[in-house]
Amino acid sequence: MTGMLGPWLLFFALALPLGFLAACLSGRLRKPALALQWLAPIPALSAAILAIVGGPFSFEAPALRLSLSLDLPGALLLATASILWIVVGAATFSGGRDKPGERFAVSWLLTMAGSLGVFVAADLITFYLVYALVSIPAYELIVGNGAPSSKRAGGVYMAFTILGEALLLLAFALLAAGEPSGSLRIDDVVKALPASPWRDGALALLIAGFGMKMALAPLNGWMPLTYTAAPLPAAAVLSGAGVKAGVIGLIRFLPFAAPLQGWGEALAAVGFVSAFYGVAIGITQQNPKTVLAYSSISQMGVIAAALGMALASGDAGAASMVAFYGANHVLVKGALFLAVGVAATANFPLDRAPRLVTAALAVSLAGLPFTGGALAKLAVKPLFGGGFAAGLANASAVGTALLMLHFVGLLMRTGNRGGQAAVPASIVRLWRRIALGAIFVPWLLYPAVGDLSDSVTFAKLWDGLWPVVIGAVLALGLHRWGSRLPRIPEGDTVVAAEAAFSASFAVGGPFDSLDVRLRQWPVASLSLLAIALALAAMAAYGG
Amino acid sequence: MIGTPPALAATAGGSLLVLAILAPVAGILMSFVLGGRFAERVALGIVPFGLALAVAIAVLIGRSGAPIVYNIAGLPPPLGIALRADGISAVMLVTAALVIAAAALYARANFSTPEGVSEARAPLAFWIMLQAIWAALTILFVGGDLFNLYVALELLTFAAVPLVCLGGKPETLVAALRYLMFALFGSVFYLLGAALFYGAYGTLDIVLLAERVRPLPAVWVAAGLMTAGLIAKTALFPLHLWLPPAHANAPAAASAVLSGLVVKGSFFLTVRLWFYVLPALPAGAVDAFLGTLGSAAILFGSVLALRQPRLKLLIAYSTLAQIGYLFLIFPLAFGLHPWTMDGWSGGLMQTLSHAFAKAAMFLSAGLIAESLGHDRIAEFAGAGRAMPATFFALGLGGLSLMGLPPSGGFAAKWLLLRASVAAGQWPWAMVMLAGGLLAAGYVYRILAPALSDGAAVLKAPPQRSREAVALALALVAVALGFAPQSFFDFLQIGREAAMASP
Repeated sequence: MTGMLGPWLLFFALALPLGFLAACLSGRLRKPALALQWLAPIPALSAAILAIVGGPFSFEAPALRLSLSLDLPGALLLATASILWIVVGAATFSGGRDKPGERFAVSWLLTMAGSLGVFVAADLITFYLVYALVSIPAYELIVGNGAPSSKRAGGVYMAFTILGEALLLLAFALLAAGEPSGSLRIDDVVKALPASPWRDGALALLIAGFGMKMALAPLNGWMPLTYTAAPLPAAAVLSGAGVKAGVIGLIRFLPFAAPLQGWGEALAAVGFVSAFYGVAIGITQQNPKTVLAYSSISQMGVIAAALGMALASGDAGAASMVAFYGANHVLVKGALFLAVGVAATANFPLDRAPRLVTAALAVSLAGLPFTGGALAKLAVKPLFGGGFAAGLANASAVGTALLMLHFVGLLMRTGNRGGQAAVPASIVRLWRRIALGAIFVPWLLYPAVGDLSDSVTFAKLWDGLWPVVIGAVLALGLHRWGSRLPRIPEGDTVVAAEAAFSASFAVGGPFDSLDVRLRQWPVASLSLLAIALALAAMAAYGG
Repeated sequence: MIGTPPALAATAGGSLLVLAILAPVAGILMSFVLGGRFAERVALGIVPFGLALAVAIAVLIGRSGAPIVYNIAGLPPPLGIALRADGISAVMLVTAALVIAAAALYARANFSTPEGVSEARAPLAFWIMLQAIWAALTILFVGGDLFNLYVALELLTFAAVPLVCLGGKPETLVAALRYLMFALFGSVFYLLGAALFYGAYGTLDIVLLAERVRPLPAVWVAAGLMTAGLIAKTALFPLHLWLPPAHANAPAAASAVLSGLVVKGSFFLTVRLWFYVLPALPAGAVDAFLGTLGSAAILFGSVLALRQPRLKLLIAYSTLAQIGYLFLIFPLAFGLHPWTMDGWSGGLMQTLSHAFAKAAMFLSAGLIAESLGHDRIAEFAGAGRAMPATFFALGLGGLSLMGLPPSGGFAAKWLLLRASVAAGQWPWAMVMLAGGLLAAGYVYRILAPALSDGAAVLKAPPQRSREAVALALALVAVALGFAPQSFFDFLQIGREAAMASP
């Protein structure tokens, strides 16, 4: 079945968003193309479903130096990311009245093309291209509303993004150098990595580069700023789908086939630190969007920890499990950002049903039984084994429950927050269905990675429930005594980083005066003479 | 009669090389003779011919897989003078033709002779000098003889200097004089070196010299003098005193040609010297030295670009930084190593992509300055919304400078990075990454205010056709990122022979 269809769907997964982009060049087609851009992920979604049902496939176009492939981990993330882009895109761009501007819409399209592309790119160059696409145009999605806070967030976001790109470029150069046959395919270079002389450098750069995208501590500062500043639909797709570019990066580029204990444990440690750090800072925050950002830092920490454990033990099957965890997060976190806008509408406090589904959606991240979150937790549980790491994983679930209940409490209390928290009217209208979809779509995907009937035993349900119960008790305590917690600025360490960055401007002064000096005639003429002599001497003696 | 060695023998298609040189030369003469408003028409009329010739030369070289050689008056060197076009000559000829064509189309709005006047100084000078630059570059790219190349180098300088001071303001005259004086120093150094070569070997033909050169004192001194002269004309750090004022004060169309092409002329000659005349010399220390100067240029130029309050000065200092990348070709492509292929391809890709990206940026900057009436970056708020196509072209050029995909700048950086990793020469890799970050910083400094909300008041909206010219150049810089392997094979044509000889 996947014979010809799969590869072509894969091609169109990337080509259709770019086709929409090309249509924007024509003045006549631009408006309809931007309004209908939410249709562009349909081939991607179809390809993902096909790959989940029928196994992996790939598309090769050597003339374009393009190779794409889709396996189960990529397909799980691609499926949920496509759904998120379609739902939020349709609500945002086909609405009648206050549609966003053209520049915002084009940036959305570019980010979407990159976001879908990272899950299917199979060679280094294509991956780097789509990774840049999902990262850089998002700047406009963040600063779109023109507020000073979003300008600051956009600047910080760009600084982190560009630094991450630079780290990855060097990492990719090292990967390519370590592959003896000169292949640039990701699976080839990763296979050659354990034996490569540049292994450690490449791994360090990969973890740092993708870790920045995932906002692992201490590289997490940009995320709270960005999600707090961005309009809600943008925050929904960036936190849900965009961030997974880092997750798929780690999944694709870490060599799970061979155990690398040191690197695996280091990554797990970074992951666990982020998991708890996100909770610890998150509970001091009072803006629900900021709390969600810290929850993302924590959840990405769990993912990094799970991947680290898999890397340490050389568990090649872990990729699908972690991808499933990530796929659940795509939908839930995307929906939760929309919930902030839904909660800001006038009748939210009056209506019990949407409040209940919103609370269930939030707590599902902690593994609430019968939600997708419970399945996600189940999927990664074996990776943590039974010892210390398993204890940490359970503790992080308690922390997530606490943090999410803190979020729910804020939503219930803050009420109408005005324009900053606007979501399209259709999201509000369909909210119950969207939230229930985010909770239950993972049930449709789970059979690809595990046995559903096994997931509803009493022991498993209890596993899911007790962290939530403890989290709830802690949340009551937070509600009672939370005002004594210190007020930590959103973005925590980034404040220090910004100060250091501003301080570095002082370096420029000496450069200016050096330039003035070098550009004086006597200095320049003497330099010319000295260089001529130096070159002659080197030609003579330098072998 | 002794048979001519194969490398010296004339090949088919040699007349194309002669025509490629004669086309702009004929244009210059006709412009002088007809004068006035005809200079513009002649120059614009010559452009398609020159472009077609450059493309024809490239096609011919691509088909035969070997350089085109033409011996003037049928006499092979050392008696005669040879013209030779190899792979890199051909791509540089096409690049020059495209950038000159773009500059000419763009400049029509600034340099048409006003109605009712039969002749105006600035337009006449501009069109003649533009063609002179083209003729000089063509000779530089196909010249096979070091003295011939000296003449081209001088012509290039004398054609470029007037373009700097077309505006006639005092500060532009100062900038032009600085440029002239320092370029003349460079010429003297080059000429002394060439004389030493002639004294030692009795020829200035590149192929013959490559066969005869041995490590002797005369060669050491000649190499040092010529290289120093050439990098002075290329404005490699720390010999850049003339570049920022010259490139920032020239009219936009001229800046595009100066920054995109003219500095590449002397760089091209430096490459010819070391890779084609002196491959026999042990060049490890020289290569490391040139790479170090290049690295310093990258860091220094980028930091200064970050500090410029005016757009054109920012772009000029960015040229200083981008010239630095070019010189990484010396440590990364010299000799026969597994990585030198990547180093060579990367260095040339940087030459080409910078030519297009920087020309696009200067043309965009010109439109911005004309429309806003100033080029103070701090006052760009809202300009992005007022003139989106111009800033799009500027941004695409910036994309290539930053080395982000898809762009020629990315391809260049990727190849150079791979070469430096494979060679174990880490400092260059670190400098390139730092340069990319700094470039992102200065491009962000331009675009972030331009994209922010504000009420930019345009004196006049930019002409669509001129925006299209800038955008087309930027798109070429982007398209270079998709260059297939056959393009890099093309750049090798004529190189194997040079590298293999002694």
